[in-house]
Amino acid sequence: MDAVKALWDVAAPRLWQALITGWLLATLCFAFTHALPGDVALRVAAARIGDDRVTAEAADRIRQEEGLGLPVLDQYGAWMMRLVKGDLGRSLVSGKPVLAEIIDHGRYTLMLGTIGWLLSYLLALPIGFWAGWWPGGAVDRLSMGLAVVLASLPTFLVGIGLISAFALTLHWLPPAGFRTGAHMILPALTLALGLAAYSVRIVRNAVVEVRQAFYLTYARIRGHSATGAFRHHGIRNAAIPIVTFAALQFAYLVDGFVIVETLFNYPGLGDLLVRSLLARDVPVVVGAALLIGWTYAFINLAADLTCLKLDPRRSVRDAA
Amino acid sequence: MTGGFALTVAGLVIRDRAGIAVVDGVSFTVARGGPLVVIGETGSGKSLIVHALLGLIPPGFSAAGTIRVGDGPPIDAGSTEALRSLWAREIALVPQEPSQALDPTAAIGRQLSQNVSPARSAEALAAVDLPLDISRAHPFRLSGGMAQRVLVANALASKALLVIADEPTKGLDVERIDIAIDLLKRLLRDGRSLLVVTHDPIVAEAFPEGTIVVLHDGVVVETGPTVQILAAPTHHYTKAWIEAHPASWPSHGDRDGASRSAIVASNLAFAYPGGRPLFEALSFSVSRSGVLALVGPSGSGKSTLGDVLLGLKRPSAGRVFWGEVLPYENRCERRRLRQRYQKLHQDPSSTFLPGRTLGRQLADLKEVVPEQGFEDRLLSVMDRLRLRRVLLDRFPDEISGGEAQRIAIARLLMLRPALIVADEPTSRLDPIVQREVLTLLREIVDEEGLGLVLISHDRALVRAVADTIVRIGC
Amino acid sequence: MTAAANSAIAAKRPARTAAILACGLLVVAALAALSLDPLSQDLMNTLEPPSLAHPLGTDHLGRDVLARVVHAAPRSLGIALVCVTGAAGLGIALGLVAAYAGRLVDICIMRLCDLLLALPGILLALLLAGFLGGGIIPMLIGIKLALWPQFTRMSRSVALGVLNEPHVEAARLAGFPARTILLRHVLPPVLRQTMILASLGTGAAVMSISALGFLGLGLKPPTPEWGAMTSELIPYLADAPVQMAAPCIAIFLTVLTVSVLGEFVLSRRTRLPA
Repeated sequence: MDAVKALWDVAAPRLWQALITGWLLATLCFAFTHALPGDVALRVAAARIGDDRVTAEAADRIRQEEGLGLPVLDQYGAWMMRLVKGDLGRSLVSGKPVLAEIIDHGRYTLMLGTIGWLLSYLLALPIGFWAGWWPGGAVDRLSMGLAVVLASLPTFLVGIGLISAFALTLHWLPPAGFRTGAHMILPALTLALGLAAYSVRIVRNAVVEVRQAFYLTYARIRGHSATGAFRHHGIRNAAIPIVTFAALQFAYLVDGFVIVETLFNYPGLGDLLVRSLLARDVPVVVGAALLIGWTYAFINLAADLTCLKLDPRRSVRDAA
Repeated sequence: MTGGFALTVAGLVIRDRAGIAVVDGVSFTVARGGPLVVIGETGSGKSLIVHALLGLIPPGFSAAGTIRVGDGPPIDAGSTEALRSLWAREIALVPQEPSQALDPTAAIGRQLSQNVSPARSAEALAAVDLPLDISRAHPFRLSGGMAQRVLVANALASKALLVIADEPTKGLDVERIDIAIDLLKRLLRDGRSLLVVTHDPIVAEAFPEGTIVVLHDGVVVETGPTVQILAAPTHHYTKAWIEAHPASWPSHGDRDGASRSAIVASNLAFAYPGGRPLFEALSFSVSRSGVLALVGPSGSGKSTLGDVLLGLKRPSAGRVFWGEVLPYENRCERRRLRQRYQKLHQDPSSTFLPGRTLGRQLADLKEVVPEQGFEDRLLSVMDRLRLRRVLLDRFPDEISGGEAQRIAIARLLMLRPALIVADEPTSRLDPIVQREVLTLLREIVDEEGLGLVLISHDRALVRAVADTIVRIGC
Repeated sequence: MTAAANSAIAAKRPARTAAILACGLLVVAALAALSLDPLSQDLMNTLEPPSLAHPLGTDHLGRDVLARVVHAAPRSLGIALVCVTGAAGLGIALGLVAAYAGRLVDICIMRLCDLLLALPGILLALLLAGFLGGGIIPMLIGIKLALWPQFTRMSRSVALGVLNEPHVEAARLAGFPARTILLRHVLPPVLRQTMILASLGTGAAVMSISALGFLGLGLKPPTPEWGAMTSELIPYLADAPVQMAAPCIAIFLTVLTVSVLGEFVLSRRTRLPA
């Protein structure tokens, strides 16, 4: 019973956060569309049938259909009701349902994001561990220097660098597209390098800190070997900050995949979001933003639950 | 198993990063089955000796001399690897901070001695009165006392004949000090040899059959059988040390208790929302130039009571009278009298703003004490407290604990207080400095006619200073 | 100090020395190139390789790349600094208020922070820029919105720690007013701690500005901007490597310089008696 309560105490704020995030994003999008100068109906009509063919009649028809003549609060209420029911509407550009569209693109992004994220920890965990085990050593200084440099590079520069090296100069990999596995390598690597620039430092510091903790020394005085002490008492403690940070990195991932997908012409959610923003395709923007915001909230929830499992103190501290 | 030595340390020298010898030629022996108490104040080098014995001297430090454990070969103090190979087999440690010694994420069962049969572990847990199912609990579920029992049980379960106890009573209140000493005695009864490093004379007194080594500035100033040294110390430092014990302070004259009261507490109670009351139905008064002591174990609400008296925490029932004024009922009057009810903190250097000289911080008081001749009064107060003027140019982290506490008293006196609540004002100070500060404080109370509430867990100290004693949480 | 000692220091701190050198070089080059026109097109001479007339070549519209790179610098840095100072001012003020004022105010401010931190930072800026159609104002608002909650969180937690310290209680008991306590006791450590955030934030803001420019949602063309220049030249990557590299290196050096300088200032300040 205690465990269930602890679980709920951790999960409730995050679920609440997810709800609020959804509401905030939806409201923001609604406010933006209505706060813009000029006639909303005209703009929707322009987006739907093209700037040059917009007529007053067409605008009026859209005003009728979408209820744009009603008071703002009524429109807001109707808009929220539709969202609550899961009706995201249709794309103004393609005419396809928004839900289908974002699921379609979301799959690609999920794959790219997961591979990039895994790849980043494939790099950061061993390097950070090595650097933290021998702080001040060659690996430590080299990797920390590289991390500073990488962190000073915007994602698109890393991507352009990789393209010029591996696609244009060496001709090993295709520069853009999405059809084969080879197409995934460069975008995923771009994401991974950007993420690893930060996580390698976190891994290193976690290892350094745990190695200095007195409970490790005491474990050895009790009769553990150095590696045994770290296996029994170090890994778990070091994992807590790393897992917390790994979840936080989803924020950087969003930053990253919007850019990476645009750069590599990869048909994911970020690409969709940017194209819809440029085309003022409001329903798609709202759908994509909601999906990104919610995924963010749920990944945070997953991280909290993992830490709860790793760190028994939390079950008490968070309930208090 | 009598005769012979469990530990022989010869000519131990430890140098810091600058090459200065912080432990200089220390030699001693621990007899088999016998306790040896190394006693010294902060900075005497006693904890470095423990680190050196364990092969754990800090990076940049160097150690020389020989260490011989039991009948083993003599080991060079600088060869940390050889010393570390003795861990668990020859040497066991009872660390000073249970909270730092135990992995917070692992259950106790995984933190018992290695290479030991479960039966032996269970036996050791039983020997320190711990239930067996404690091995499923995590460290944060344990009280400080229980965690210390786990550490002692680990020493009992190990095969090592030599047990080193590092500051076993640091930060403990009186009741727990007795328990901790009792636990160490169980180790002795089990046939182990014990090396105790401490700052606390009570620990030395608790092992009258043993040997004592008095350490001062990295040098052994006196050594011999404990009973003999405590009864007739020859070195002046040891003498000062023993005299600093509150029991040997001169008694203060009786005062007539009829003078005006600085504070009256009537039927006070305090409870955190949803918690059980920390104290109930407390009534007492402190007269001008009277000293009242609040004693009780840690966690009993002594400091909370102090805050209630100072108008910082509203009591859940009862009344506080500042003279005639009710601070919690009358906010206006509370503001007017605010400066007259003051607090002396436990850690004096932290009561000063870091990065600002003490002189400027005392001068800042002019903003809130608008009076002519402020500077003159400040200088006379400093003279009274035997504070050198050069201290005014120092930063708070550049003065000793005793000086910091006296400057804190000077600052309070500039506010012309009616009552001072002193919350463990000397518990972080070494005994000799403690005596100096508290004697001074007692004199000031008489001269200035102010009331003092002394919060402490040290009964001997309280008996030496206070007129009245109020116990809470017993 | 002797030259030998100087070079010894330089050898010890290669990153800082490189950053300072780069900074000096950039300033000199920038002053020399400010006289060039970043907007005039010359469609007869597009994608020219570097020459004396155009030290970094020309872009796809025949504009001088050096002039564009240099003219973009004050704009990017200026916007970034405005964002960070604004965010820091607002964030620190709210953080102090949250720490000092009562529970209710604290909860309100922190919930607002949680809300904004629950959104990936770039998303807000993207949405703002997207809906409001690019330009400076949405960018300013978007980046500032994403930055201030971090300042609030950090300054609140530092302030809460300081407010619990005995020296604050002593000052309160001595009768010092809240204003004095906040300014004298709380603000200095808060500023020390948030300095690193400010330097990181400036770098992040420069990167966000260029990222928005790269996506076509930043400053409106033809305003010279590093991110936009990069994305305009991507189709010509193989033909115009120098023109492409110039804005990239400019972004990289700017961000690196800002973060290294921030660390330098920080290490200087912490050497004071704390």
